[in-house]
Amino acid sequence: MFSFMQKMLRFQRSFSVSPFPTPPLQLPSPMETHLWFVVPDEFKSVSLLNQYMELLSPCEKENVLSMRGEQLQKSALLARTLVRTTIARYQINNRVVDPRSLKFKRNVHGKPELEWESDGGQCPSPLHFNISHTSSLIACGVTVNSSIGIDIEEKQRKIKNNILAFARRYFSLHEVEHLSAISDSEVQRQEFVKLWTLKEAYVKALGRGFSAAPFKTFTIRIKNAFRRGFDHADDIESGVCHKIQMANVNEMNHLSSLVSSSLCFEIYAANKERLPGKRYSISVIFLSKPMINVSFKLCNQASEVVVESSDHPERLANNWQFGLFELASSHYAAVCMEKDKASDAGMSAPMRLTVRKTIPFVEDECFSGTDAVVPIAGLIEQF
Amino acid sequence: MAARGALLKYLRVKVQAMPTTRNPNNNGLFGLSFNSIRRFSEEVRGTFLDKSEVTDRVVNVVKNFQKVDPSKGYDWKLKVKWVTPNAHFQNDLGLDSLDSVEIVMALEEEFQFEIPDNEADKINSISLAIDFISSHPQAK
Repeated sequence: MFSFMQKMLRFQRSFSVSPFPTPPLQLPSPMETHLWFVVPDEFKSVSLLNQYMELLSPCEKENVLSMRGEQLQKSALLARTLVRTTIARYQINNRVVDPRSLKFKRNVHGKPELEWESDGGQCPSPLHFNISHTSSLIACGVTVNSSIGIDIEEKQRKIKNNILAFARRYFSLHEVEHLSAISDSEVQRQEFVKLWTLKEAYVKALGRGFSAAPFKTFTIRIKNAFRRGFDHADDIESGVCHKIQMANVNEMNHLSSLVSSSLCFEIYAANKERLPGKRYSISVIFLSKPMINVSFKLCNQASEVVVESSDHPERLANNWQFGLFELASSHYAAVCMEKDKASDAGMSAPMRLTVRKTIPFVEDECFSGTDAVVPIAGLIEQF
Repeated sequence: MAARGALLKYLRVKVQAMPTTRNPNNNGLFGLSFNSIRRFSEEVRGTFLDKSEVTDRVVNVVKNFQKVDPSKGYDWKLKVKWVTPNAHFQNDLGLDSLDSVEIVMALEEEFQFEIPDNEADKINSISLAIDFISSHPQAK
């Protein structure tokens, strides 16, 4: 059993519930997603669940009670609790936020949004959020000034129809080809689930509903953007200069920002050299022996996820950024967010991601940077 | 379930074909239009599936769908039990968006016609599925 799963086995605690979570958190910065999740099995205390019920609006309470059976009711309750308590953590303008006070509405297409009052009357909320449920995990992603869509699926999820028949009916031609080329049926099933989560996250980020962006009309591709640098930390000798070749200036800039921001090893500056044929090399000296961490693996195997229109593949939907990762060893998670409008559209900046598991009002646990969050595709930097 | 549907179809009383002779007592023009109107509506009615048959078949498709994943523990038996003509996909059966799309696909295979995405989006309960299929002449 992984250590984080052991941590997930909780004892009942007595606690005094403070309605306001402390300490207040900084808002996510541009290109940053904060992902919070709950594991329904960890919530067994009836009194805690009753306290959560008190946070909901009358309409939300009614909706929870309209669900059939205890399991679905608990799931619906935890989802609303997660959204309210998560958003309430972010102090805006130094005001403490009571989760009960938050108001929600739906946009024209039915996507849930935060209703935001400012001095000048109502205006769009800077905080964006999106949730996704499975029976075993509920997640909420939060961003600032960027539309977000997330989708979580159990890794073991069985597809009841024939996978290729389903893909031919609902996915794009290129995606069907990609899945058809996989001979192992288990690998094919996994790739199908990953592709589904990416497509679903994109449609949710667009916020216009399934039928406004039918799955067939867009293709999601995973491109390998990086050459292999190091396969293993042991390959790196400290104090020795290593030269890593990059294919283009974007890769080089990304690597140097990754390396310089990494918490796990120190480097002595990067010397950027332009080579013939528009290739670049970066010279890096590691002052101490690097430990393997996720962002380090990323610079060896990073890939980029792109979305393009099926009819016009040359039209890349350039303003969307994706991240796909394995969560808690049990789920695939896809995040889709708008790229920072201020940044240079030509640069592929990584998505900054923080992942935390929570039992609202009881405890939070940071999962990013551990083996509970394993990037699969997309440029992801964990904090 | 398809066999049951086929059997029910076989056992149904077929709609009578209209007699080709007109009533000689009627004014020719009136008789013609009256017979034509009757023929048209009977032909049209004949291509729609009977609602109770559709109900049985839809409920069976969804029950079989729920049965495929017994790994979820005791709840799956309840989830099969709760598949009734009034069941809501999300609120009663705990189905998510992928489940809903899978069910629409299973219904397309059962009834042999394609359900367009913008219509499929709205089908989030058994009764909506039944209404939609019952009102579609292409459903078999």
